[in-house]
Amino acid sequence: MLENDRNQLHKLVEEALPELDMMIGWAESCDPLQTTPVFIRDAKSISKLTLGPFCSQNLAGYLVKPPALDAPPKPDAKPIGICVKGCDSRSLVALIQEKFITRDRVRIFGIPCRGTVDFRKVAQRVPLANVKSATMEGDSLVIDDSGTPLRLDLEEVLARKCLGCRYPNPVIQDVVIGQEAKPRSSSLAATYRDVAAMDAKPLEERLAFWQSELDRCIRCYACRNACPLCVCQDRCIVETREPRWLTQRVGIPEKFLFHFIHAMHLAGRCTGCGECERVCPMDIPVTLIKEKLNKIMEEMLGYSAGLDPEAVPPLLTFNPGETEI
Amino acid sequence: MKSGVNKRPELKRGNLMAVKIFIAADRLDSVLEKLATKIDLWIPALLKGDKSGPTGFVPYEVGKAPAFDRQTTLPLKKVLLPQEETLLRFEYKKDPEGAPKTTIALDDHREARPTLVFGARSCDVRALTTLDRVFANGPYVDPYYVERRKNTFFATLVCKENDVKCFCSSVGGGPADMEGSHLKIVQVDDGYVVEALTAEAQSLLDGLGDAPDAARDAKAAEMVKEASGRRVGDVDTQGCAEAFRNRFPQTDYWVQMVSQCLSCGVCTYVCPTCYCFSITDEVENLKGERLRSWDSCMFYHYTLEASGHNPRPTKLERYRNRVGHKFSYIPEKYEGLLGCCGCGRCIRSCPVSIDIRQVVGHLKENTNEQ
Repeated sequence: MLENDRNQLHKLVEEALPELDMMIGWAESCDPLQTTPVFIRDAKSISKLTLGPFCSQNLAGYLVKPPALDAPPKPDAKPIGICVKGCDSRSLVALIQEKFITRDRVRIFGIPCRGTVDFRKVAQRVPLANVKSATMEGDSLVIDDSGTPLRLDLEEVLARKCLGCRYPNPVIQDVVIGQEAKPRSSSLAATYRDVAAMDAKPLEERLAFWQSELDRCIRCYACRNACPLCVCQDRCIVETREPRWLTQRVGIPEKFLFHFIHAMHLAGRCTGCGECERVCPMDIPVTLIKEKLNKIMEEMLGYSAGLDPEAVPPLLTFNPGETEI
Repeated sequence: MKSGVNKRPELKRGNLMAVKIFIAADRLDSVLEKLATKIDLWIPALLKGDKSGPTGFVPYEVGKAPAFDRQTTLPLKKVLLPQEETLLRFEYKKDPEGAPKTTIALDDHREARPTLVFGARSCDVRALTTLDRVFANGPYVDPYYVERRKNTFFATLVCKENDVKCFCSSVGGGPADMEGSHLKIVQVDDGYVVEALTAEAQSLLDGLGDAPDAARDAKAAEMVKEASGRRVGDVDTQGCAEAFRNRFPQTDYWVQMVSQCLSCGVCTYVCPTCYCFSITDEVENLKGERLRSWDSCMFYHYTLEASGHNPRPTKLERYRNRVGHKFSYIPEKYEGLLGCCGCGRCIRSCPVSIDIRQVVGHLKENTNEQ
């Protein structure tokens, strides 16, 4: 099935490429459990494009960062083709809402998603150093570690964000590759299960949890740079010297402040793609902070980010008659 | 070692009997506890509860289990070059007689305590040759680094955990490379054979255990032999300095190689040889500290000039600099020494799976193919 989808993608990209500036997709990397983003400009590179549960990167962010996109684009610039999973498509919608990109500037190849593999969960079962190859067989992930192939149930090694996924199918797309995927969650309760579990703990325990988790942060800013909606990038206030808001110390207060600034700047904008958490080299569950805010947005304002390109995110507008807050 | 930092006498083989001890696996805790009474002890350990979580070097505490089963997520460079370090403290004092005159009191007191890193790996220790050239061998000598360097000892594991992302043999090292190490640790079936490689290191082993029996000694020798013969990685770094210079202006090459870069600092912060730092004055009212902290050439602010001009405005120039620094500028400046120890951490931790071996491996080819 995956093979068919891949062939379909190659065929569709081949047809579309002459009209595109470039095609952004995933390619295999030296790590069997992770892909690498690839920027296709010529037909002979199309075969590099791959699909499947290792395509974890959210590519939407590349649309607003050079050199994938010249900013500002030339008036006669051709559209950019991009592969998006369900969650990635919501980031794309949010970027369109915030006018970072226009709808006609992108040709969206929608990929219904059955979930992406979290290599850390695989590492709990087999040392990553031993993983020679990984392939999907039905619902199983088959790991070759040069012994007897290890079969893991895909559900067991999915990224945390996938477990409560309501939108596995892209919410915006021009073409769709493969069969529609079934949502894992249809309720707020299921989507925000981890937030509820955290909320159930006493305040002191929550504080201790975050202090201990954030203590590991090395201020590498991978979470920020991988975030498709962290659009300040080089102007981020945690790094600017003039004005200087934050010291260069690596104590818990600085790290705490950085992560909560990051989260607050995403309130009502974060689509829960989980990139910040996926890229963290120190395995800090930073998406959980944003999930808490997303939950508040949904409960108080009935707003889920990145679903409707025409909608205005609640914190980007002002409604004097607001009754909910 | 080449660096000239460590002036300790090296043991001459055949001159003195090599001091070796065997530490049974179940005695490791008590041995580390004893060691920690002799010297400040650092070990590789889990930084988060679960066994597959991130690891790094931490000061030993009683009961803390060392993580010897894989290379640490974070390198050991922070033992010598902490992520944050106070260079000096200062305080402005108002002159009671003649305000607004002030005087300034400076305090650059520091202390480097004898330290042992138990469970380093060859790649990490080899990386120090790069740091030594920069911080210790002039023309600028960094007293903060040098004092710690002189006082730090390394007990290095003969590595058997190299994976597909390791390439130490390609950059002059190897899984059994003991250059710069003071003790050699070989993991045998039921424990560790530890051998002193320098005279000073011998005293660290005093009273920690008996010599290994013949069988274990033979097993250890066999493992060292195997590891010494193992070639890890196949990156061709011959002539990379010149090849880089030729590639420098080829923007297309860098676009193809690193368009996926997110310009985050992971690769530099997990890198054992990346040493760039920033200095900031962190002031509150009249008191403050001059702080040195890790910086990263992947960051926009790294080269941002006071005028507002930035000579490396995008990730392409920044990534190119990272490659150039390690494989061209350092070798050209320091007689062929590479600024890379082949540990593979930048590949392992990169959020978008950029593989520096690929970028370096293609420097020489006259094609723009990826």
